[in-house]
Amino acid sequence: MLRGEMGEAKQFALEIVSKVGDAVGADALVPIKSAHVLAHYSSLHDAGVDVLERFSDSGGKFAVPTSVDPASIDLQNWRSFGIPEEYARQQFRLCDAYARMGGMRCWTCVQYQVCNFPKQGETVAWAESSAVVFANSVLGCRSNKITAGMDVACAVLGMTPRFGMLLDENRRATVAFRLGFKELSDLDYRSVGFFIGRNSGARVPALLGLPASVTSDQIKHLGAAAAAAGPVMMIHFPGITPGSDALSEATNGGVEEIEITRADLEDVESDLNQTSEKPDLVAFGVPHLSINELGELARMLEGRTLEKGVKMYAYTSSQAYDMAGRAGISAAIERAGAKISHSTDAEISPLKRLGFNTVMTNSAKLAEIVSSEGEIKMRYAPQKKIIEEVTG
Amino acid sequence: MKPKVLRGRGLIRGSARGEALVSQKAFTFAHGVDPSTGDVTDVRSDMKGMNVRGKILFYPFGKGSTTASSWFLETVRLGNYPAAIVTEGVDLSAVIGSVMAKEIYGKDVPVVSGVPRTAYASVGTGAAVTVDADRGEVTWA
Repeated sequence: MLRGEMGEAKQFALEIVSKVGDAVGADALVPIKSAHVLAHYSSLHDAGVDVLERFSDSGGKFAVPTSVDPASIDLQNWRSFGIPEEYARQQFRLCDAYARMGGMRCWTCVQYQVCNFPKQGETVAWAESSAVVFANSVLGCRSNKITAGMDVACAVLGMTPRFGMLLDENRRATVAFRLGFKELSDLDYRSVGFFIGRNSGARVPALLGLPASVTSDQIKHLGAAAAAAGPVMMIHFPGITPGSDALSEATNGGVEEIEITRADLEDVESDLNQTSEKPDLVAFGVPHLSINELGELARMLEGRTLEKGVKMYAYTSSQAYDMAGRAGISAAIERAGAKISHSTDAEISPLKRLGFNTVMTNSAKLAEIVSSEGEIKMRYAPQKKIIEEVTG
Repeated sequence: MKPKVLRGRGLIRGSARGEALVSQKAFTFAHGVDPSTGDVTDVRSDMKGMNVRGKILFYPFGKGSTTASSWFLETVRLGNYPAAIVTEGVDLSAVIGSVMAKEIYGKDVPVVSGVPRTAYASVGTGAAVTVDADRGEVTWA
């Protein structure tokens, strides 16, 4: 394509995607069927606003269906969460740029449960590490973990460099984890994922011994924890992952097998528990809760009231938020003194700025990310135990 | 003393001189560097408390959030960025952040990869380092 014919935004996108392709030794740029881009000001900063506006001001439009990750604030009710005005203003500049480029304003990290539905075998360019694991492991799509800035470039160009998880030879399982027990709590799924992330290194893991009752929500949290703890982009779940019906197919031969024991999960729990102090915030929904999970939370909160001095936020997509409102789920959660927050997420909110010091969660991903900053102390426990501790 | 040379592959062209800041651990700018100061804040980093501004930054691999490129770019916007980055594996965040640094702010941050971490200890934090990414060379005295 000649420079002039392409338009400035596409030319800029091509420049970025080509340079990255060269850096990783990609043999070609290949078309994508969908994209997912990052939108939270807390991590994109003012530099991210400059990048986005460079694309949108030069006429950039997304070439493929492109869903947008959560913002750093609840885009509807941000004032009620105590967000400073100037912080909100910068976040809305990011949002406006995405709107101008034609992004799906879903503001969620679980786009695969909400609005972005590629089919098996398709190549996509998704940012958001937990969604990348879900795409490769459950949907049977091919995606690398696309980095901020590159995500927008791929979406504008409609292409991505062919390397990494787009290539057959890099998708085979090269280490197998086996569960040494049958019963798993909500926390166990996250701890298992975290253990896999910590112990896979650069290898592609398979997980054997999951109960047949496992839900897509549980896999979502397992994959998110794995991706937060290590460079994992795909987990083979035999019987679930397309093309991975048996371990032999996933591996093409023998691989190291690692048993996951109860003691391993206890180690993860003690690692992610930095204090026994009472929390000032309880956060559920990293990644975003589905409508089913919101319903389950409402049932667990029935007849209970949140204690003074502690806030409880459940994070979800705008779509599930609307549905929860219509189904009476929001009212049930609010009766207990908790709040549903949509279009944002705890790990990308300015928690310290909002005055929180100790946060309790059942999300290994949240516990890992927040604790690495060292400003806020984390506690990690099953949802039921958390609710029993902070409600009367 | 005769200068010593390490060879890698230049991913982003250009040259830079500065003091070495060396890590043996996987590193990320995301939640790991305060862009307003350049201080390393990641409690798991062996560079915690040190400052990346103007340094030749050595680390074996990237890790963590895909937003790292934007955290890196914010250090560029605020003038607290490293002079060059040297890694063992390709860190996509360093590559993209550096491409954007040039495109958006007109700043050069050369990136060289393929330099094994086993060599970092002999360079050592504080050494005077020259990076020539066009030739893929890292030289120190």
